[in-house]
Amino acid sequence: MQAQDPVLNEAVKRLGVSMRQTEDELTRDMLAATASFINCTGGVNGDNPTEITRFDVGEVVRTLVGNDANTILDNIEGENKFGTAPTRDAYFALAHTDLTTNLDAMATFVSKAEYPAPMKALRSEWGTSGNLRFLVSSVGSSVASESDLGDTVYNVFCMGMEAYACVEQDGYSASFIYRPPIFDGPLALNCSVGYKFAEVPRITNDLWIINLRSTLS
Amino acid sequence: MANNTIIQQGHFTSDGTDALINLRSDIDWIEVVNRTNVEASTQWAGTTWRWERGMGDDDAFTDFHAAASQAISTSTCSTGYNGAVYRGITLIDTSDKTPGAAVAITAGTNATQPLYSTADTGNLIEGSIVRIYGTDQRDVNGFDFTVDTVTLDTSFRLANTLATAPGVVAGAAGYWRFIAASAAIYDMMYPAKRVIANITQAAAGVVTTLVDHNYVTGQKVRINIPSDSGMIELDGQLVTVTNIDAGTFSIDVATTTYTAFTYPVYTVYPFTPATVIPVGTDISVTSSTYPAEKNAAYIGVMLGTSDDAAIALGSPGGTAADVIYWRAGKSFNVLT
Repeated sequence: MQAQDPVLNEAVKRLGVSMRQTEDELTRDMLAATASFINCTGGVNGDNPTEITRFDVGEVVRTLVGNDANTILDNIEGENKFGTAPTRDAYFALAHTDLTTNLDAMATFVSKAEYPAPMKALRSEWGTSGNLRFLVSSVGSSVASESDLGDTVYNVFCMGMEAYACVEQDGYSASFIYRPPIFDGPLALNCSVGYKFAEVPRITNDLWIINLRSTLS
Repeated sequence: MANNTIIQQGHFTSDGTDALINLRSDIDWIEVVNRTNVEASTQWAGTTWRWERGMGDDDAFTDFHAAASQAISTSTCSTGYNGAVYRGITLIDTSDKTPGAAVAITAGTNATQPLYSTADTGNLIEGSIVRIYGTDQRDVNGFDFTVDTVTLDTSFRLANTLATAPGVVAGAAGYWRFIAASAAIYDMMYPAKRVIANITQAAAGVVTTLVDHNYVTGQKVRINIPSDSGMIELDGQLVTVTNIDAGTFSIDVATTTYTAFTYPVYTVYPFTPATVIPVGTDISVTSSTYPAEKNAAYIGVMLGTSDDAAIALGSPGGTAADVIYWRAGKSFNVLT
């Protein structure tokens, strides 16, 4: 396919990204619609919710632990390296990239460069605080004008193991479809390329996931 | 407008609110005919509306009775006639949650159903959903509300009654934004969480939500109540819903002896509000219309109308009991 048609090849690459990003966005929107939430209240920006703080991380972790949610990631043992610190076993926290400055400013935040073994960090990981390890994405969840002062509210989905699932329907998760021109029209002028998927994202235990809502400082 | 481009058509009886039509694909044109108005020949009544690709939101070409006869005149909804402009037709994508423009709130009452004054009510009608922020009522700010009692370019009221009044008047520094024409298109994912306005103390507690809830009898929800809201005994309980009306439902828990529920006081912020979290259904919910979770977003059109009778008469959404026909289509190419 690559050698035969560079235009088709480019379309396939873009559609592939679109397919997986769409799946992620649908899951994101499901979590935003149905997960329990806690507003950050430990900050000082005068808004409701406030910016994220170590206090708020503690509230989420206390709730998840209290609900018997299992952590997803193991701890990383400390090593004899300057500027590093061991990390705790952790829940995932899925956040928007706009929050990175606030995460860096959070007390006791450890960036992934300060892990004893940075290669154990995930590519999208930003760092850790308490028992949360933050993964960031430019398409993370946010809602415009939803704060007291009318600012954007950012959703950080903090979850334990198996808190949600994507249920495949009809026996498949996704299909990438290509129909060459000879099968796509009587004059064989155009081809079709596209994707379809049939998945239902679903929270499996609402006690094991919390949406921590915050604004920017 | 060749007939072979028509992709869908139908008819319905207006309930006096914006009509939402779920279409199977995108369209380039739609024609709407109000049969009731065609037959009645009431002066200033609109009869036909045509929206074409390239027109703006809430607009359409319109035919109307300029006199109490069958004679037809023409205009557009945005230009209007008889000294008024009218609601039109808008393409909608209910997965798009971009709020409307900020509109100033000039005052707001301190009541369990606050009344907000504004010089521009835009397309608000009873059942619309707004987001309020920046007012002195900090316990109201940042939340979405269903509204009722819309007085054109004067005021709107929160439809669902709060347990306690906000505690202070709104002042003149706040704003509202249009969020959705109705609860039917408010949620992309169904069912969805709601913020609680009130819970009664009763043999079967009655929960009121800020935005109409769309829940059906048999759905399972979890009630989360922070300490600022009272009724802490109900916090974390998994309950079964019995639908009462758009804004309230009862639960299978006796709350008679529980602490009274209170809406948070405006002086206590930041805070987390009390919420309803949908978690599933019991075996009585068998309809595929109400699964445990579904993506409820769709593309379609909104036929606008108004709570103002004169404007509703010339708008495609019509007035209650009007019989309305429509057909929509796609063109092979739209040249510009």
